[in-house]
Amino acid sequence: MSDPVTRILLIEDNPGDQDLVRLRLCESQPDLKVDCVPRLSDALASLDRETPSLVLLDLNLPDSRGADTFRKIREKAPNVPVVVLSSQDDEALAIKAVNHGVQDYLIKGDITSKRLEQAMRYAVERQSLVRSQEMARKKQIDFKNQFLSHVSHELRTPLTCIHQYVTLMLDGLAGPLQPDQTDHLKTVLRSVNQLHAMIRDLLEATRAESGKLRVEPRCIALGTLIEQAVAMMNPTAQGKQVGLEVGVDQRIPLVYADPDRILEVLINLMDNAVKFTPAEGAVTVKACLQETDNTVVYVSVCDTGRGISPEAKALIFERLYQDPDSIDDNRAGLGLGLFICRELIRLRQGHITVVSEPGLGSTFTFTVPVYSLARLLTPVITHGGAVRPSLVLMEVNLKPIYNPPRGNWKETWQQCLETVQRCVYLDKDLVLPPIGSTSPTETFFVVASTDIEHSGAMITRVREQLSRVRELAAKATVTITTSPVEISLPVPGEDLKQQVERIAERVNAMVLHAMGRDAKFNGKGHPKPS
Amino acid sequence: MARRKILVVDDDPDLLRALRLRLKANDYDITTAGDGYSAIATAQKERPDLVVLDLGLPVGDGFVVLERLQKSNALAGVPVIVLSARDPQGNEERALKAGATAYFQKPADNEELMNVIRVSLSTSNPGGEARQA
Repeated sequence: MSDPVTRILLIEDNPGDQDLVRLRLCESQPDLKVDCVPRLSDALASLDRETPSLVLLDLNLPDSRGADTFRKIREKAPNVPVVVLSSQDDEALAIKAVNHGVQDYLIKGDITSKRLEQAMRYAVERQSLVRSQEMARKKQIDFKNQFLSHVSHELRTPLTCIHQYVTLMLDGLAGPLQPDQTDHLKTVLRSVNQLHAMIRDLLEATRAESGKLRVEPRCIALGTLIEQAVAMMNPTAQGKQVGLEVGVDQRIPLVYADPDRILEVLINLMDNAVKFTPAEGAVTVKACLQETDNTVVYVSVCDTGRGISPEAKALIFERLYQDPDSIDDNRAGLGLGLFICRELIRLRQGHITVVSEPGLGSTFTFTVPVYSLARLLTPVITHGGAVRPSLVLMEVNLKPIYNPPRGNWKETWQQCLETVQRCVYLDKDLVLPPIGSTSPTETFFVVASTDIEHSGAMITRVREQLSRVRELAAKATVTITTSPVEISLPVPGEDLKQQVERIAERVNAMVLHAMGRDAKFNGKGHPKPS
Repeated sequence: MARRKILVVDDDPDLLRALRLRLKANDYDITTAGDGYSAIATAQKERPDLVVLDLGLPVGDGFVVLERLQKSNALAGVPVIVLSARDPQGNEERALKAGATAYFQKPADNEELMNVIRVSLSTSNPGGEARQA
């Protein structure tokens, strides 16, 4: 059962109404503690300090009006029951508030101590009921996810055994095979791989649902990733006699995304496209900018397959959805691929859509955010309406001792990046997102608000912390250098935004130079500040 | 150079048999263990050059084995490659922090696994100083 009401937070700016409500409260429950605040900002501060048993809320306050008021209160204290105090002519708004999770409302003119007491008691009861339902639901979901994760683990064990023996035989380690035996075993291996992919999808979907998908964004060239995806899909497409075509606009800037995840989405979409396209058909992957919005790149996978019915289109991104018409085809998969794609894209505030004409094919399009250094730099290098007086670019270079680097170097490099991130001041230094896919020779860049004379302290700090990264000394030599970023005086007529853009370009140029003008990132791939 | 010795630890005897065949075909000497306790005992007796280690094991799981290997002067330098059905998320980092060289989720790609074994063996300190005795 719910706790007794002991403390009320009354949010009301009209002194007359304040007194009235206080009076009514005292009449029914004299030992009730009532805190009264006239503004939303005071209320939010009070909720930070202490959690009341209940909030009585006037929606029109000096610093907030209408629906915004209850939204902000609910956001701040989702577990505190709220009763709205509404004026006669605002009942519609009060009802809207109830629909959005407020427990009840009272019309100010009609408040009696009895009604007030009743409303408050019901509000508290209802809130605790909602909460216990939510908790039960969460428990169920947790249980289901745990179960799925357990099952997929258990399925892997026998699958591994099958996989190992089949590959043993295929590799000739158990004696020579007849040609048709090889064929049969290859069929087994294909099924094993399919089953493996399904288990992976199952786990990935479980993670998506419990918010545990991990995304590590970097600054990357989409063109390279698309080429990689096409190379991976080529054997399958050729086997089905489906053409794979690429149309990447050469002007597209670098994007800010997790390369592994984008590859996962591309492969998922292309795999579907090839699956549903008949022989002699074609699958085209495109990437382009749209004139209306230069903050995202549109990537599309287009096929000449049989298309998707409007009914299927509405459900296609949902978990476990499978086109009922595809029963006769080889239905490999659990119907999780597109669900995972959508979750991965959404995680980075992107969206994914499908356009399709039954009989003519389908086009899936998703957005990837453009990498804009200026946008990332603005909060860091500006202070009090001006650019900071001096900036330094620090390079932390990891050069592997062995070639190829030993052990799990990707993990070690990632740990180094996280270490560097811990070494900087978040409000005035910026660790640039790593560039390109993780490579054995990696450089991390930091733009720091300091001058070159004082950058020594930062170098020492970073070096010191990096020396504690396990295994790093055995895997790589670390070189740390700093160089000043030229900040010339503002050009007349130039505003702060343009100044930041100019500095961002300067930093970009320095980074490109430091990276030895890698062909992938040269010229056209250069990010346009937006 | 003498053949390098690999200790494979897994509680599934069928999988052990298959891994033994595959590693033998790659010219390694193989010794096996089916639980955490015998893994540590075998490692101490046989002094392998590399360990392939499952995580879910009876009598002391893979993490316990990792910890014990790290604590032993004679075995701390021996590369350990984890081969487990467990989700890498969470487990991989934990295993690497505990001293593992690499983490593979089952079923692993044979070629990749053999590559990592080869590279780990070529870069590890063969046997460490204790081996000289």
